[in-house]
Amino acid sequence: MSDPLPPANSEAPLRDEDEFAPGAAEWPEDLSRRRFLQIMAASFALAGGACTRLPHGEILPYIRQPELLIPGKPLYFATAMDFGGVGHGLLVRSNEGRPTKIEGNPDHPTSLGRSSVHAQAALLTLYDPARSHAAMKLGHPETWEGLLGELLPEIEKWKESAGAGVHLLTQRIASPTLVAQIQQFLKKFPKAQWHFHDAAFPRSPMPVTVHLEQARVVLSLDAELFGYGGANVPNALAFAKARRRDENISRLYAVEVTPTFTGAMADHRRALSPSALVKFAQDLVVTLRDGSKSSDNWSAALLRDLQKHKGQCVVVAGEFQPPSVHEAARQINEALGNIGKTIDYLPAEASLPPSGLPELVTAMQRGEVDTLLIFGGNPAYDSPVDLPFGEALARVPFSVHHGLYPNETAQVCRWHLPESHFLETWSDVRASDGSESIAQPLIEPLYPSKSAHELIAVLLEQVPTTGYDIIRGAWEQRHKTDNFENFWRKSVHDGVAALPMPPSAKAPEPAAAPAAKAEVESKSLELVIRPDAHVLDGRFAENAWLQELPKPLTQLTWENAALIAPQTAKANHLEHGDVVELRYRDHAIRVPVWVLPGQAEGCVTVHLGYGRTYAGPVGSGLGSNAFTLQTSDAPWGGPGAEMHKIGDGHRFSTTQSERSMEDRDPVRLVTADKPAVEVAREDLPETTETLYPKWKYTGPAWGMVIDLSACIGCSACTIACQAENNIPVVGREQVLRRREMHWIRVDRYFDGDNNAPRLLHQPVPCMHCENAPCELVCPVGATVHDHEGLNVMVYNRCVGTRYCSNNCPYKVRRFNFLKFNDDHSETLKLMRNPNVSVRMRGVMEKCTYCLQRISAARIDAEKEKRKIRDGEVIPACAQACPADAIVFGDILDPASRVAAMKKSARNYSLLGELNTRPRTTYLARMQNPNPEIG
Amino acid sequence: MPQLFQRYTNTLAPASIVAVFIALSAAVWGMHAIIFSPYATEVGQPVSQVVPFSHQHHVAGLGIDCRYCHTGVETSAFAGLPATETCMTCHSQIWRDAPMLEPVRQSWATGQPLHWNRVHNLPDYVYFDHSIHIQKGVGCISCHGRVDRMPLMAKSETLYMRWCLDCHKAPEDHLRPKNEVFVMKDIVPDEKRGVALLRAEEIDKTHLQDCSVCHR
Repeated sequence: MSDPLPPANSEAPLRDEDEFAPGAAEWPEDLSRRRFLQIMAASFALAGGACTRLPHGEILPYIRQPELLIPGKPLYFATAMDFGGVGHGLLVRSNEGRPTKIEGNPDHPTSLGRSSVHAQAALLTLYDPARSHAAMKLGHPETWEGLLGELLPEIEKWKESAGAGVHLLTQRIASPTLVAQIQQFLKKFPKAQWHFHDAAFPRSPMPVTVHLEQARVVLSLDAELFGYGGANVPNALAFAKARRRDENISRLYAVEVTPTFTGAMADHRRALSPSALVKFAQDLVVTLRDGSKSSDNWSAALLRDLQKHKGQCVVVAGEFQPPSVHEAARQINEALGNIGKTIDYLPAEASLPPSGLPELVTAMQRGEVDTLLIFGGNPAYDSPVDLPFGEALARVPFSVHHGLYPNETAQVCRWHLPESHFLETWSDVRASDGSESIAQPLIEPLYPSKSAHELIAVLLEQVPTTGYDIIRGAWEQRHKTDNFENFWRKSVHDGVAALPMPPSAKAPEPAAAPAAKAEVESKSLELVIRPDAHVLDGRFAENAWLQELPKPLTQLTWENAALIAPQTAKANHLEHGDVVELRYRDHAIRVPVWVLPGQAEGCVTVHLGYGRTYAGPVGSGLGSNAFTLQTSDAPWGGPGAEMHKIGDGHRFSTTQSERSMEDRDPVRLVTADKPAVEVAREDLPETTETLYPKWKYTGPAWGMVIDLSACIGCSACTIACQAENNIPVVGREQVLRRREMHWIRVDRYFDGDNNAPRLLHQPVPCMHCENAPCELVCPVGATVHDHEGLNVMVYNRCVGTRYCSNNCPYKVRRFNFLKFNDDHSETLKLMRNPNVSVRMRGVMEKCTYCLQRISAARIDAEKEKRKIRDGEVIPACAQACPADAIVFGDILDPASRVAAMKKSARNYSLLGELNTRPRTTYLARMQNPNPEIG
Repeated sequence: MPQLFQRYTNTLAPASIVAVFIALSAAVWGMHAIIFSPYATEVGQPVSQVVPFSHQHHVAGLGIDCRYCHTGVETSAFAGLPATETCMTCHSQIWRDAPMLEPVRQSWATGQPLHWNRVHNLPDYVYFDHSIHIQKGVGCISCHGRVDRMPLMAKSETLYMRWCLDCHKAPEDHLRPKNEVFVMKDIVPDEKRGVALLRAEEIDKTHLQDCSVCHR
């Protein structure tokens, strides 16, 4: 090993650092071979002495066993999560009183049983050892009572001054009760002010709800419909439904700056720089209105397609687009009669105060702020560079930060109070469709923390002050019913309140659009700033699962990069891996360059959420801080950026460096007129000949189908699998060695022209081949075929030869090169799924088709002497997928969903020509190109 | 030419080959003896507990059914140990002041659980499910022995994997009618009855020997 290891800046906490220290592979200087052999012989001899009996262990039964709780059987509770001010319905599995897995809630209207990356990863945040354990005063541990000691006299002062000098800062809030509490506070202290700042979920220029299943043609103007936003789950599900119809499948056009999931699903995609995109949108409106000829064939065909589907199409503008683009989209929707059918314009967000961070920082700098209460968030880190929040805070005598982590803001505030995680406390949320849900806790708070409700109740000097009483009291007031107790219980049980839908409010008349000055495409390099897809604005920087989850389209982990198009790279003489100084408006950051096919020419994209200093052991010191380039008047970038090369040879910790499909075509594309999948290579036809005897199956034969028409590439399956199967995180250095442990990964390919590629995604779990190459070569028989068709991995037999991984053509086997699992942190032990072994160093692991779920279902079925029903076994990946792209079941059952899908003409096996006969097959992606564009 | 080897090597060479064979056999025999010795298997060796709970008294003497305390056995993978509350259902009224039961009363009063030493333990990578065994007609005493004769609980079977496989290969030798699962009666292996029970419970023997049945 000649190259030195890169500096360790992302070690997972509490790893045995001496285990494989750098240089461990080199022969130590002063050890002779004779001495080495003596030591080895002695240790072999002593090893035998260590083989003693199993330690006894203890059993600690309950003192009073809770009703309904049977040790060994999980319970499921409905709850909800506030994510970016929108509620997501969840069903959480609880093993012996602690939550171990989050799923979507099938009874919730916007969840319908599906979940997302962030819903899955929220479990790790609950058990994160780096969370705030105690209150802090000026950096020293304190107690809640200590805070009260200072807070209560302050409240007395507020009563006299009617709250003058008191400022609240919040992020987006999904809880109607919390908003009501804040408004109560503002009523009690009329001079107090409420400010809003949310770097990842900013104020929307024009909030909308989209109904993708009603749309035959969708145009996205840099709208990430399937990203982390509020309606990502229902959007994905609706879009997938619209793509899988036998007739009238929808068509998606995407015009965007940086490749997104939406662009990857598009039938026609165009990459434009931000200024070019604004011009494009305006030209579209003008052409539609005048009926004039549009500048190019593409736009003309697009417009004709939209006009052909009046009332059944939709134009969506992205959250980070300027108001002019939103207005253009709205005008097109209005002209085509889409409003009320495929898109609804919502009234301005009433739950957000008009005042934001600029007003607050100005007040702070003027010394007008005596008390600042920060509810969640990290303004000291994620505020734009021209609003020096940290410095201004020095002029605030009494500041309290309420948050999950002791982050940068907690370090500079006078007080920090730990916040209860949503799984630890009572709250309520409103979902994207307006429905209300009660969020119930799954576990008592792990630390002496308080929820936002409880904190405000103290500020209001209310009694009661526990979360349960606050929420219940608020609901009793808000919802008048005959039998509140029944209504309450049903709402808590179902995870959604049975309430009549609020009538869709009439959207206000659009504000007079500013006279649209003729937009000119900028000639200079444009900077594009976006929140990171997983870490967002840095709030999830400490969540190791999200750090290690490969980012969309780049498959980058543990860092950010400056994304530029191949043409831009060539024009600026830059190569992939060069380190540049990216300069914008007198500020500069040092960032490595990633050449991304599909990125728009003439612009450089950089993601927020990195370069943090006080994130914790996992998230600090990673990447570059793009907030240094963000200014409050141009938060999402603008023209006039510069790049100067200052270094090269940066090694990216990415999980996939292959870009092209070569000729193997793992992802196959079909169109409606030719739906049958074609063979990828004529010289490698799929064969069915084999010398091996065929397996005979009498019981269920498990199989899986992944529909590539539906898969949006979000990787929710990856995180769900990680949570369900106790999969460890390996850290940046090991990802550099391609040792990431994800059992299911989402591959992405760039197909076609490098400057305007088609973007393809493919989830790859273990194929559970019937002719498995891995089973043949294991010298100890640790991987065997069982009678249900599963390729079973027996950890206790494995000696770590790694021959199986060598032989696997799909490379889905993961080896524990080091002891990746963390068995020190007490809270992480609570998180683990008790039905899956935690693997030690030296053992191979891989996707098991969630054997623990199959076993549980089989045992239940055998006890009742019946067959396992279709849909009774759902692996974690299939359950999480927001688009319902993964389907699992018994392929010998003619009535099962899986068997029907496998009969489809689109069905094919990955690398089928190798005759591995995988049980996991794919349905080729159905494209719906516009024949006029071709 | 002078001899390289002295005369005694004429005996030593063949003797050492024989000695190696003998040594290897002795080593293997020795390991086998150790692994299956009561020291290693702990069969028949009572385990000391915080409270010397006597199954003999409670089961044979009082006739309490297994499920009164081991409540999870028909529904869950774990049979479970009784909550302190279960002990107190009787011992709040009888033997109320017995010094032997002081830890139970302490547990009830302070809310701290009793620390029982585990007698039957399997490695973490083995996922044994009680409920399916009970449901299919494997008696409690088939694996746990005649607890009604144990003043202190002890293992009566090795619980080694080969012992589990003995039954998984031939369940008909170890099954009993469903109404006798919790009865303290040794069964006499009867092939006809065994096969009938197999069929009645719809047990598929081929599946039982899959690794995936116990290991995941």
